[in-house]
Amino acid sequence: MRSQHNEADAALRRSVVIAMFAAAAVVLGLIEAAIPFQAAVPGAKLGLGNIMVLACLHFLRGRDAISLIVLKTVITSLLLGTFSSFLFSIAGGLLSFAVMYALLRLGRDRFSLIGVSVAGGIAHNIGQLTAATFVLGTSKIFYYLPFLMVAGIATGIFVGFAAKTLIRALGRLPLFESLENPR
Amino acid sequence: MKRGDFWLIGIIVLAAAYFMVAYIRQDHAADRYDGKAYAVVTVDGKPFRTIELTESAERYEIQTEFGYNLLEVKDGGIRMLEADCPDDICIEIGEVRKLGETIVCLPNRVMVEIVGDAEEGGETDAVAT
Repeated sequence: MRSQHNEADAALRRSVVIAMFAAAAVVLGLIEAAIPFQAAVPGAKLGLGNIMVLACLHFLRGRDAISLIVLKTVITSLLLGTFSSFLFSIAGGLLSFAVMYALLRLGRDRFSLIGVSVAGGIAHNIGQLTAATFVLGTSKIFYYLPFLMVAGIATGIFVGFAAKTLIRALGRLPLFESLENPR
Repeated sequence: MKRGDFWLIGIIVLAAAYFMVAYIRQDHAADRYDGKAYAVVTVDGKPFRTIELTESAERYEIQTEFGYNLLEVKDGGIRMLEADCPDDICIEIGEVRKLGETIVCLPNRVMVEIVGDAEEGGETDAVAT
């Protein structure tokens, strides 16, 4: 009885955290769309939403991060995008998740959140371009990739640093303290 | 930052540099081309129309189920003037004129690519080695 109760309690906590993180990720996406971030590379983005995905991967399980990515992408696309942009974002989001999850699994002592974030950001670009290759029927758009990669290193370092700071701050709250379990 | 991070970033920098060298070489090859250039417009992977890159200013509307775009040809180049997509990346790309250069409006599934003589089936591959 007692363990059943604890399990339900943990599931509820996870749902609450996913919902909060998804809301924060959507707001970060809106802020990012509103600030005139004039990049030298057309199509390069800060990727602020990835801060929440990284925090989710730290505190919760892989499948919770997938829920977060799907929620974030659906809501952001409804607010800002089109069906097409949803398709490209979800492809990018899922590939980015796979890469970041794999790197974290490989070992937290080998990669810091900064490396994970850089790889995740670039995987997002690759996922989007791959989806676009299928839709547009040409791989020519991969010409943009090297420029996106260079921009992705800079934005990835920034996002990784922000995620590190956020995780440290959240870790002090009782709700997150109970979730933090070193794997 | 840990050791793995430096390896990871190093590999990404090398990969990006490799692709960029290929890109620049193609760019130089395109510089030597002095024939007529055309812009091939495709929507959702299907040919939409081919536009000759003329010196005189000309505007072309692309109205499809995916959205609205307005292209402008001027001085032998082409650029996206207007688009109803949410991110306007295609407008940011600016003017393109060299062989192999592209403008992509991903949300509206529009792709514009510069090719050589379109009548002969676009000999881009022979030029862009």
